Amino acid sequence: VRCQLCLPQRALQASAALRRVSDEHKKEPAASSSQHQFDSHPTDHQPEQEPQGPRPSYTGQGGQESEDYESEEQLQHRILTAALEFVPEHGWSAEAIAEGAKTLGLSAAAAGMFHNDGSELVLHFVSQCNTKLSELLEQEQKLVQLGKTEKKTTDQFLRDALEARLRMLIPYIEKWPQAVSILLLPHNIPSSLSLLTSMIDDIWHYAGDQSTDFDWYTRRAVLTGIYNTTVLVMMQDSSPDFEDTWRFLENRVADAVNMDNTAKQVKSTGEALVQGLMGAVVTVSTAARALRAE
Amino acid sequence: PARAASSGLRGGGGSAGAINAAVVGRIIRVDHAGEYGANRIYAGQMAVLGRSAVGPLIQQMWNQEKEHLKKFNELMVAYRVRPTVLLPIWNIAGFVLGAGSALLGKKGAMACTVAVEESISSHYNNQIRTLMEEDPEKYRELLQVIKQFRDEELEHHDIGLEHDAESAPAYSVLKTAIQLGCKAAIFLSERI
Repeated sequence: VRCQLCLPQRALQASAALRRVSDEHKKEPAASSSQHQFDSHPTDHQPEQEPQGPRPSYTGQGGQESEDYESEEQLQHRILTAALEFVPEHGWSAEAIAEGAKTLGLSAAAAGMFHNDGSELVLHFVSQCNTKLSELLEQEQKLVQLGKTEKKTTDQFLRDALEARLRMLIPYIEKWPQAVSILLLPHNIPSSLSLLTSMIDDIWHYAGDQSTDFDWYTRRAVLTGIYNTTVLVMMQDSSPDFEDTWRFLENRVADAVNMDNTAKQVKSTGEALVQGLMGAVVTVSTAARALRAE
Repeated sequence: PARAASSGLRGGGGSAGAINAAVVGRIIRVDHAGEYGANRIYAGQMAVLGRSAVGPLIQQMWNQEKEHLKKFNELMVAYRVRPTVLLPIWNIAGFVLGAGSALLGKKGAMACTVAVEESISSHYNNQIRTLMEEDPEKYRELLQVIKQFRDEELEHHDIGLEHDAESAPAYSVLKTAIQLGCKAAIFLSERI
């Protein structure tokens, strides 16, 4: 799912040319060498212009970049990463992005590349956190496969994965309510939902979920609920190192796993009952037939 | 991206060697739903005709469908595809269809089998065409599985015909209705 952010079409010829140049740099520089010459002009002025290129995608798919030319998307990602440092001070806003751009030696006007509600900054951050989490879980899985660590129980695994992910919010926790409200803006919902679902799916995948029936949905729904409520608790938590939050998380995960086990028990009891009933019916009807035959 | 690295079978859209996750996802989701439904249909038929003369035959076809479902369960986990939300509906609908057709007698059950297996075979053929058009080498394993299953579904179809499916009451009406239902189920399961 690609991010569907759309700025109103402020059509600059330069931006169109820039896009063409970055596209051409990806292909073999075969035929259009003369066009190359003409179009390479705008790239010299890149830092001073405000290119309206394709919006960066936040859903885990990298763009195609050649090694020696930095694409617009890569540049935007660099600016947003640099901007994170200024979030505690300026919030998730164009000011933070402008400050970030300045640390990279660009003009503050580069913030004009982005929406001025800070959407891209928040989405970029969330996407980065999810990627970090995936890498963490992947490494942990490798360790378990190599026999270097014990395999965790499901509830322990879920707790640890969610705690690791939530700890990434700690440096920005003061401004996280603002981030949440930005993620809930209608034009951000497709992206933020997609990021949330893929994170939850990743956690369940590494937890070893192999369900192929409706359980697939209930498990993810439950974990999403746990994550969201824990974030809310965390935003109001003032205990040292967020102990209250981790305790809340532990209880919610225990509840969920309990429910899962209870549901399994109910299901198997139900199935056993049905088998018993069918057996009884067959026995009775056979006996009745035998009696009638006499 | 970390996701592509973590499960080598799924790839980002960027590299030429990676599979088209969207297409494969759809294929596995709908095939899984189909085999699940087929399982329930045979279960329904067995519930009614299990103790009749045709019982062992239906049981045999059911066993093959169970194998198919097992294979798709594995592929679903391997490719990290989500199952269709409609599974609980196919659960009930399949059983009702199987039991209902079996209540029309052995011929009714066979007619249902013929209709469903014909739909499934042509659906598998479409998928084979799609994958062949994309890249037969990349999807070799998947193509093999689908081809084998299509052949087995065609066998079921032929068994149904051999056992007087065509002399079932209202055969053509029954067949058309069931095949329409299958088309709708396939359309929905690919997407939802």
